[in-house]
Amino acid sequence: MQSDSIFFLLALITIVSSIVMISAHRPIDSALSFIVTLVSIAALFALVNATFLFVVQIIIYAGAILSLILFIIMFLNIKDENLPDERYKNYWLLGTSLIVAPFSFILIDLILRSNIALKAQISEEFGTIKDVGLTLFDKWILPFELVSILLLVALIGAVILSKKEA
Amino acid sequence: MLEKYMILSIILFSIGIVGLISRRNIIVIYMSIELLLNAVNLSLIAISADTADASAQVVSMLIIAITASEAALFMALFVVLFRNKASLDVNLFDILGNKR
Repeated sequence: MQSDSIFFLLALITIVSSIVMISAHRPIDSALSFIVTLVSIAALFALVNATFLFVVQIIIYAGAILSLILFIIMFLNIKDENLPDERYKNYWLLGTSLIVAPFSFILIDLILRSNIALKAQISEEFGTIKDVGLTLFDKWILPFELVSILLLVALIGAVILSKKEA
Repeated sequence: MLEKYMILSIILFSIGIVGLISRRNIIVIYMSIELLLNAVNLSLIAISADTADASAQVVSMLIIAITASEAALFMALFVVLFRNKASLDVNLFDILGNKR
């Protein structure tokens, strides 16, 4: 199976780069490895024929949000003495993963035991911009409008927050 | 295919939780939150492909829009906090007034 091997390769890249992301000391390193995570998640979207979401993920996440983070990190001019002193970071990471691991094992075991896959036949149009757009403006019009209000509020809030106090 | 995607999503969510709890750098905490949202998006897309229904893709698109607004607010917050405290340590952010 070709798509299986592609999936395992992408899953490996995603997991390794996200582990690097949470354990890197400098924020620029974690931002750069987070880009790798996001691009491989976008490739995982494309693997199940969600082509429009693939494009959205590349443009908005890897394009807009991550370049904003990189810009802010470089703009803040962060030096080593501005970073928090995380001497026991590795012990913290180890201890927290020991706490979180049983829960994720229980969930994975649950997924493996239960037979959740429907394996519906996907049509030719699935995941195209027409399909997603028709569903968005047909069934999800109210959440769409609410999200536009939320974006406006966030924009105003960001402007007010970053304004220099008089 | 759905089971594999769900398992990968659970693993990514756990990694994000670990980063969220155990780090003190606020930028890494922000990116861990993004990782949590991405894990949820991944499982939504897998469900959408499994049921051949585009509704889950629409929900995932709304999540991406919410993430964009969250990103704008967080960036403004980083700038303000760094201007006030000259540090990225979240332990210093318990007093947000003008006292140094």
